[in-house]
Amino acid sequence: MKITLINGSPKPSQSASGRILQFLQPLLESERHENTLHAWRRPDLDSQDALDLCECDALIFAFPLYVDGIPSHLLNCLMQLEERLAHTEKDIMVYAIVNCGFYEGHQARWALAMMENWCHRAQVQWGYGIGLGAGGILAGDNATPLDVGPNRNLGQALRKLAHSVTNRVSDQNLFITANFPKLLYKLGGEMGWRKNARANGLRARDLSMKR
Amino acid sequence: MRVVIHDLKDEDSAGKVIEHLGDVHVIADDGTIHRCLGCFGCWTKTPGVCVIRDAYGDMGALFSKCSEVFIISKCCYGGFSPFVKNVLDRSISYVHPYFVNKDGEMHHKRRYKNHVRLQVSFYGETTEQERETAKGVAQSIATNLWWDLAGVSFGDDIADIRGAIS
Repeated sequence: MKITLINGSPKPSQSASGRILQFLQPLLESERHENTLHAWRRPDLDSQDALDLCECDALIFAFPLYVDGIPSHLLNCLMQLEERLAHTEKDIMVYAIVNCGFYEGHQARWALAMMENWCHRAQVQWGYGIGLGAGGILAGDNATPLDVGPNRNLGQALRKLAHSVTNRVSDQNLFITANFPKLLYKLGGEMGWRKNARANGLRARDLSMKR
Repeated sequence: MRVVIHDLKDEDSAGKVIEHLGDVHVIADDGTIHRCLGCFGCWTKTPGVCVIRDAYGDMGALFSKCSEVFIISKCCYGGFSPFVKNVLDRSISYVHPYFVNKDGEMHHKRRYKNHVRLQVSFYGETTEQERETAKGVAQSIATNLWWDLAGVSFGDDIADIRGAIS
């Protein structure tokens, strides 16, 4: 089966979406699928990308939750892809993984609903989505393997996804959170923001600046 | 202050839709908006404003001075059009990077204390499922920005939404 993975984060590196797809790739390979990774960081869909996508059996999107929805540049690309997909004969399945900075994966529910609505418009088949909470942990951690520590729930979800892709399964959306205490996630996040502010020559209290 | 964010291409039709609102600050698509880079510079480099200094770089500060926000957008898959979503993506400096718990969910802490009433009007042909999604999206955005959602309306075309916002 030919599968295209699309990283919808605008970040050139260190994105949680990229990390999730890195985890997913070997799982798809173990199911003997050929997969190709694309990174969409701009609002324009590359023509060759569009042609490739129209020839694949499944599309798997991974992107960050931006203001309760799909990042605007990715939304632009989806609108362009909708037009291209209207001309394909392929029966394409679509899955999506949305990572939230918030702790609760279910805060991705409306972004996943939009992806499902996009599938209806583009006349492709919606599989299901995964909403991952506490996704901020992934962005700053290149060392912890899948199925270990905070990545245990994600490991289970991605294994299920790889199996679902093989069997062309449609299902209910799955909402998970990293295996990490909520309070520590909150405090760790705040520590990270203060560290970044200081690295930029600011004081911690400048984070609360009013304009 | 009252702010209108819209994606209407034609100035005449935009004027007809919002003329009854009186004195409003209008955020429209002049074709120059830069996409959000996901850098969080608006929280940790220049807190409160976006590091990209185009015409849309001060949305957070603008929201802090307003009492009503009207959004007029084509409904795209149950969400906003790319331009309106881009404006919202560039507005997260309105809230603080720290998290708080609100009704059992994690949300960003408030940076400002102003009270804002949000009205959203979607136009374009929509399915029932898209309308349900759009209502959920509008409510979630209001919750995350600490605003009150005053209403969500739908119209098949721009003329239909003319009387929907007030």
